[in-house]
Amino acid sequence: MLETVAQAVINGLLIGGIYALVSIGVTLIFGVVKIVNFAQGEFVMIGMYISFFLANQFGIDPLLSLFVSMPVLFAAGVLIQHFLIRRVLGPNDMPQIFLTFALSLLLLNLALMLFTANYRTVHTSYSDEAFHIAGLYIPVAKLIAFVVAMLLSGLLWLFLHTTDLGKAMRAASQNRDVAMLMGINPNRVFCVALGIALALAGAAGSLLMPFYSAYPFVGQVFVLMAFVAVVLGTLGNVVGALVASLMMGIAESLGVQYVGADSGLIVVFAMLLLTLAFKPTGLGGGRAR
Amino acid sequence: MMQDVNPRNAMLVAIGIAILIALPMVVKSSFAIDIFVRILLFAFIGTAWNLMGGYAKQLSLGHAAYFGLGAYTSTILEINYDISPWIGMVAGGVVAMLASLPIGWLCFRLRGPYFTIATIATAQALMLIFLKFRDFAWGAEGTTIPNLGTAPLMMQFESKSSYYYVALGLLLLSLLVTWLIERSWIGYYLVAIGEDEDAAEAIGVNAPKMKRDIYMISAFLTALAGTFYTQYIYFIDPATAFSFNISIEAALVSIVGGIGTLWGPLIGTVLLETTSTLLQSWLGSSIGGVQLTVYSLILMAVILWRPTGLMGMINEARQRFAGRKPARA
Repeated sequence: MLETVAQAVINGLLIGGIYALVSIGVTLIFGVVKIVNFAQGEFVMIGMYISFFLANQFGIDPLLSLFVSMPVLFAAGVLIQHFLIRRVLGPNDMPQIFLTFALSLLLLNLALMLFTANYRTVHTSYSDEAFHIAGLYIPVAKLIAFVVAMLLSGLLWLFLHTTDLGKAMRAASQNRDVAMLMGINPNRVFCVALGIALALAGAAGSLLMPFYSAYPFVGQVFVLMAFVAVVLGTLGNVVGALVASLMMGIAESLGVQYVGADSGLIVVFAMLLLTLAFKPTGLGGGRAR
Repeated sequence: MMQDVNPRNAMLVAIGIAILIALPMVVKSSFAIDIFVRILLFAFIGTAWNLMGGYAKQLSLGHAAYFGLGAYTSTILEINYDISPWIGMVAGGVVAMLASLPIGWLCFRLRGPYFTIATIATAQALMLIFLKFRDFAWGAEGTTIPNLGTAPLMMQFESKSSYYYVALGLLLLSLLVTWLIERSWIGYYLVAIGEDEDAAEAIGVNAPKMKRDIYMISAFLTALAGTFYTQYIYFIDPATAFSFNISIEAALVSIVGGIGTLWGPLIGTVLLETTSTLLQSWLGSSIGGVQLTVYSLILMAVILWRPTGLMGMINEARQRFAGRKPARA
């Protein structure tokens, strides 16, 4: 009994690390640029396809392709901010929402046209390996993904708190006007924020590849999780998003274990609706940091 | 209220309606009528969305929730209780109105993009509920509507042109509702909320109540479309009734046509549906994703270069045209 619970919690925690990479990206963009990137999930999908093709064509391990997917998506983020998002930043919500939404539709359907709806998998030497500790089953690929995800989140935290550019980003997220008066170039900060957020999504994609199938709609699973985690963890709050993502992973896994195999999403929606009903400012108490 | 109607515009509208009524009598191809029905239907859904999304700028991407509730209410009433879909249609509208109260209560706690996400989530949650409860709603397999041949009282017709007139009636209803709202104090209040909700509240607009009421009207109309569509295709399942594509298209046609304008959703639907039909006849429907790829490119182009949509372009052209004739000023 206790073991099944512990196993479900571990499963949830491990996948929660991936949710965290996606949510941190969403909340970083929201905090700094003040827009919601509806296309974040599609960048996870692109990261997965990058890793899939590198593994398929050149036999490169998906974990090594992290060093390709992250820079490629960082560059994509900078370009998207500079050429698209910069043009719609203003007081009006409509263009901001529907620009990234259109981008999401475009990437998803381009993938459908180019790669078809088939599921693609990469089999690595460690895909079927697992540790057995105290009766618990811990798959190696998921453990690696979790550890790398936490490592990247830690690096981001260090970047935001110790470097000048990171501090500038936090300043811009706290008060954009004052930050600009202090001489911070907003477009440069926004470009870096988009770049980092997309690189994290790309990392999530590469880390998923050894144990998850790539298909055009795969991003929607993760972006939905991320949106809920970002509300739950207070909009714009990086640490909140991380904690909330891990909680969501565990809640989903317990839902699958105790309510039924197809009820993971129901648990997620229930969490979103309960958060909205009782604590719409999120667990962080409404402070973005 | 009627005295300040511009007689020239009234003429144009009357001519337009006459052409639309005559259209199925001239065009006999059932392929063409099918496209017209789709245009009328999505223009209707778009117009319903536009009431809330366009005027009050509450950008919902969850209108499939009401489309699905309307479709399921009338179908359950028809199959299980032999109640005519005409009655079921109104019942579906009422169910959707009632459902919009708790959904709105939750979603309106968030503003801007997070309101949008909350509406997506509620529509998806409803789809999951209908997938789960197989005993009262047939689960994932869905069900077909028994074909009774020509049974106008059960909203079933042999000829496609009859469906065309039903869809036309729905569209005209939504345009009338929009027109009445647009020119009354309600329209001004909604636009004020859309421009700046805090400022609107500061000058005495009861924003929560206005948003709730317009959401109810929008939900009611969208539900009517759900009933009509189910009767038209003789089939219902959660994936079609609560399809995210319906939520997308409702918003898309309004934005492309001109958000917050009376004619925008209709013009946007004509453009998008025509494009999609041409694409399908050129490329065939074998390659998945072509239609939405093109839609998303059109949407991006509109947002980046013409945020006022096609109506904005038309108005600009009219002003330029009028500007050349100073005598009329």
